[in-house]
Amino acid sequence: MRADGLLAMLDRWGRWALPGAVLLFFVLLTLAPLRAPYLSGALPLLPALVVFQFSLATPERLPGPLLLTMGILLDLLLGGPGAPVGVSALGFVLIRAAVVNNRRYLVGVPFLFQWFGFCLLALGFVILVWFFTALWTWTAIDPVPALMQYAVVISIYPLLAPLLARVRARDPLNVPDESRGTARPGETTS
Amino acid sequence: MAIRDDFEVVASQVRTVVQRFALGLLVIASFGAMLVGKADTVLVEHARVLALDLASPVLEAIARPVAAANRTIADLKEFASLREENARLREENARLLAWQTAARRLENENERMRGLANFREGPEASFITARIVGDSVSAYVRGALLNVGRKAGVASGQAVVTGEGLAGRIAEVGEHSARVLFVTDVNSRLPVLIERTRERAILAGDNSPQLRLTLLQSVAGVQRGDRIVTSGHGGSFPVGIPIGEVVETGEGSVRVRPFADFSRLEFVRVVDYGVTGLVGGTPAGPAAPPAGIRIR
Repeated sequence: MRADGLLAMLDRWGRWALPGAVLLFFVLLTLAPLRAPYLSGALPLLPALVVFQFSLATPERLPGPLLLTMGILLDLLLGGPGAPVGVSALGFVLIRAAVVNNRRYLVGVPFLFQWFGFCLLALGFVILVWFFTALWTWTAIDPVPALMQYAVVISIYPLLAPLLARVRARDPLNVPDESRGTARPGETTS
Repeated sequence: MAIRDDFEVVASQVRTVVQRFALGLLVIASFGAMLVGKADTVLVEHARVLALDLASPVLEAIARPVAAANRTIADLKEFASLREENARLREENARLLAWQTAARRLENENERMRGLANFREGPEASFITARIVGDSVSAYVRGALLNVGRKAGVASGQAVVTGEGLAGRIAEVGEHSARVLFVTDVNSRLPVLIERTRERAILAGDNSPQLRLTLLQSVAGVQRGDRIVTSGHGGSFPVGIPIGEVVETGEGSVRVRPFADFSRLEFVRVVDYGVTGLVGGTPAGPAAPPAGIRIR
């Protein structure tokens, strides 16, 4: 009985901590010297992908303050001199809010719709970071590398998203009430 | 029942308001962080250093297997071209031996000349070898994280070199970690010399793989293949570290290809020149800095 209780508790804790831990892992992975062409350039956008994917499934396990902390950590670790600290935090928080407010279009819909949603939100994220970095350092930063990053990360999405999607409960609607969307399976528009 | 329904409606409205408010608060907090970062750069610097120190052990654990895998792949690639590589190296070895003879002769000659002219040498440089544990490469930054810090004697502004040439300079230092800003970063500006003409210029990065030579007195004197070396002006770098060679001379813009291969860096050396000039830090070196460089 006791072992069962302990296991159940660990399971519960694990479930709650997993999205945050995965996000932290990807924030740290941003700095890993992978040296793979294109891929290593796109690493800084992977945390945004993780935020998007987990906001779809379990936004209550990625609370806003956690996203704020992770975003600031990412900016501190990655940023060069003069780069704004907190712009990733702003982007994460906005991605989560956008996903939560549009769950009916994003949860329980075909994968292509989710991909399209990610493309839109990631573009918003890239533009946000680019704009604030340019504003804060007051230089005209070449947007091409940022757009290259974007192109790579939206191509990686179909590879990574199904993996991350395994973290959520099996049934897309088998989630706590407060995070459940209004959409039913097969429903794509209101 | 009506009262209960009303209560539920009000409760849900309150919940919605709180949720909206929460988003607003989070947005305000992120803007607050950005503004604080802009206003108080010292605080942000401390926070960065703290984050680096905390993250560097984890990164080091990640970096080792990654480096091993990268090396294995590189080894396999080299294995395929072993024969040609060997022939090339033998040829290069013969050429270098000839250069070595020339260098010995020049060194002797130089020493005698210095003795005659009573020339006083600049401070001696010492090296700190470091492993690169993290890349801080994104669309906006070109840099890397090292596993050495203040404890090992690293200070802000020191030069970071590879076997081929200059890689960058130390931008931030923690207790056991440091951040290098590569010469290709948009924030990098270096006083340099064109080795052949001894003309001074500024070498600037723009986040692309190549560098831009600016503030030249005359673009006309620069030719393709000219080597660019550090000039030592500003006092934080030794004189004559090779940086790169000119690959393109156009209308008012000269492009330079750095010698250091940033995609394959694994170990670098931090040059402790003993003199950290304009960039701050305490000069721990010899009492006599080279002529013309008076610090503080």
